[in-house]
Amino acid sequence: MSSHHLSGLTAWLVQRLSAVYMALFVVAMTAVVVSHPGYDYASWRALFAQPLVAVTTSIFFISLLLHIWVGIRDIILDYVGGSPSMRLLLLSLLGVWLIAMGIWIVRIMLRVMLI
Amino acid sequence: MATMLFDIYRYDPEQGGKPFMQRFELDNIDPGMMLRDALIRIKAEQDETLTFRHSCGEGVCGSDAININGTNGLGCITPLSELKQPVKVRPVPGMPVIRDLVVDMQQFYHHYREVKPYLIRHEPEQEVEFLQSPEERDKLDGLYECILCGCCTTACPSFWWNPDKFRGPAALLQAWRFLADSRDQNTAERLEELEGPYKLFRCHTIMNCANVCPKGLNPTKAIGLIKQLMLKRQI
Repeated sequence: MSSHHLSGLTAWLVQRLSAVYMALFVVAMTAVVVSHPGYDYASWRALFAQPLVAVTTSIFFISLLLHIWVGIRDIILDYVGGSPSMRLLLLSLLGVWLIAMGIWIVRIMLRVMLI
Repeated sequence: MATMLFDIYRYDPEQGGKPFMQRFELDNIDPGMMLRDALIRIKAEQDETLTFRHSCGEGVCGSDAININGTNGLGCITPLSELKQPVKVRPVPGMPVIRDLVVDMQQFYHHYREVKPYLIRHEPEQEVEFLQSPEERDKLDGLYECILCGCCTTACPSFWWNPDKFRGPAALLQAWRFLADSRDQNTAERLEELEGPYKLFRCHTIMNCANVCPKGLNPTKAIGLIKQLMLKRQI
């Protein structure tokens, strides 16, 4: 699959699949939190230390970052029509910002999961 | 008989100056009179410089797409009785105005040409007709009726934002019309041509196109079916 393909159909598909996953995750996570009232710090960390929660939460954040990429990219492609260099600059800034967020999330998740 | 007020967009680049709205008052409005009839009478009786396109007068040729009280439509099949006064008549949005209500449709036709709106066969031409079953023919209903008036494409925000790159609802409806045709053999090439972030995927299902189509067609649905077909052939 060329990068040409990644730009249209795949972006559209990623946007939809990530949306469905995030919707399901938020519902499931809300149910988990509501069904255990009175979380303190220790039990909160214990929750995220469970492999299932850690993995599904990690997938949630991956979905979130991909969803942000497609959504903000759409806004940039729609509204920054005239100037390709401006689009490139904004898309690069978005990419850098998302990668930074990704690294930060990985750091947090690793600390939560490893301890 | 009734009197009606019209505010009509006027612009003549040859005279210089900015576009402005001009007020016209028309009496002897008959019940059942269409907006096109009123424009013809204003031109004949009050201001012969008023410029607009029209031809068949019955919603078939697609010449008189205009923006009527903020919504695109055909002047010839819009009854005056349904319109709020003063009737604001403007050229369709998002297109360069040549004069008054006449816009330059070149970009629109360019996108139409680019989807190759004709049957393409890879097998040698056969000596007899290409037969279709009634079911295969039914798939073209709601697609072939397009009169290329441009109401949909010029109502589409995605087209306003990227008129040079996004094909627009009218062209994409025709893209699907030939993808859906059992006699066409160019499916892979047609889909490949529409890939990328702009030509097809600028559509955000805003649905202005389906809302304004004077023939009651639904380009949004056709665009969705193109995406589905792309997906099916990728996996």
